[in-house]
Amino acid sequence: MVQAEKKENSVFHIAFNLVAACFISGLVIGAVYYVTAPVAAEKAEQMKQESMRELVADADAFRPVAGREGWFEAQKGGAVIAYIVPSETKGYGGTIKMLVAVTAEGRVIDFSILEHNETPGLGDNAQKPAFRDQFKGKEASHMKVVKDPSDRENIQAMTGATISSRAVTLGVRQAAEAVASFKGGE
Amino acid sequence: MKELWQIFSKGILEENPIFILALSLCPALAVTTTVVNGLTMGLTVTFVITSNNVVVSIVRHWVNPKVRVPVYITSIATIVTVAQLVLQAYFPLLYKAMGIYLALVVVFAIILARAEVFASKNGVVKSFCDGFGMGCGFTAAMLVISVIREVIGSGTILGMPIFGESYSPMLMMILPPGAFILIGYLVAGTKTWIAKREKARLEEEKGAVS
Repeated sequence: MVQAEKKENSVFHIAFNLVAACFISGLVIGAVYYVTAPVAAEKAEQMKQESMRELVADADAFRPVAGREGWFEAQKGGAVIAYIVPSETKGYGGTIKMLVAVTAEGRVIDFSILEHNETPGLGDNAQKPAFRDQFKGKEASHMKVVKDPSDRENIQAMTGATISSRAVTLGVRQAAEAVASFKGGE
Repeated sequence: MKELWQIFSKGILEENPIFILALSLCPALAVTTTVVNGLTMGLTVTFVITSNNVVVSIVRHWVNPKVRVPVYITSIATIVTVAQLVLQAYFPLLYKAMGIYLALVVVFAIILARAEVFASKNGVVKSFCDGFGMGCGFTAAMLVISVIREVIGSGTILGMPIFGESYSPMLMMILPPGAFILIGYLVAGTKTWIAKREKARLEEEKGAVS
C-alpha cells in the first residue's frame, strides 16, 4: 500500500502527467491550426481588400507603391486617385493601427481602424461615422482636436474619450502629411 | 433523466455563475457594452466550459491529484486556442470585436471551478449537463446585462437606435461603474426572487402535509 502510494506520487509520474497533457494539447492545436491557417490568411487578405474598397469606393484596382512599405495606390482607369497609407499611434489602451485613404492632393477621404485596444463603448466610437465623417476632405492643417462644438473647421473630440480622439486624429494627420511629402518629393 | 435536468437547470438559476456564484465578474463587466459582444462571449464560454467538463471527466482517473490544476488549465487553454483559431478563420469580425477578452477565457474562474467541483468527481454525461447548464446560465446573465447596458448606455439594441435622435445616452452605463451598479441590483433581484420561490415551495409542502 505504501509502495503503491509512493509510486503514484513519484516525481516521474507527476512529470509524465504534465508532459502527456502538454503533448496532447500541442497535437490538437497543431492539427486545428493546420486546417484553419490557410482559411484565416485568405480571410485576412480578403478583408484587407474589402476595407480598401470601402475607403476608396470608386477605385477599380489597388497596387502596392514602390519604395513605401504597406502603401497602396488606388487607381481608376489607370490614373492614381488616392493613396492608402498605414498609420500607427499610441492611444489610451495601446497601439492603434489604421489605414488612411488620402487623395493625391493631400485631402483625407476616409480611414479605418485595423487594430486597437480602446475602451469599448467610448474610444472605439472612433470607428463610427459620427467621428469619422469629420475627417472627410480635410487637410493636415485642419486636424486639431477641439472640444468647442461650434468649431466645424477642426475635429470634435468624442465624449469621454479625448485621448483616443487625439490619437486617431494624430494618426490620420501623419498619414496626410506623409502623402503630401511623398508627392512633394516626387 | 430528471437528475440530469436538475444538474442542467441549477446552472441557469439556483447556481447562476454570475448572479449567485459571483464568479467571472470580470468579463461580465468588460464585454457587456453591446449585445453582440456579450452574446458571443457567452456562447464561447458555453462551448469551452462544456467541452472542458467532458475532457476532465474522461481523464479524471489518470490525472495525478497533485498536478490536476495545471492539467485542467492546459486542457482549458487548448480548447480556448481552438475556439480562437476557428473564430479567426471563419468569423474574423467577431474575433476582432472580442479582442483580448477571448484569450482571457482561459483564466475565467467559473471554468476551472466547474472542472474542480463537478467534472473531476462525476461521469461524462453528468459533467456535460453541468457544463452546458452553467454555460447557458452565464450566457443568459451576459445577455441580460448587455441588453440593459446597451439600451440605456448607447440607446441602441444590436447596434440599431431605438429611442430616436433626442435620446441622450447615459454614458455611465457603458463604463465599468455602471456595470457594477447594475450587476449589484441584478444579484439582489435574483436572490430575492429565489428566496420568494423557496418560501412559496415550503408553504405548499406544509399545506400538503396538514
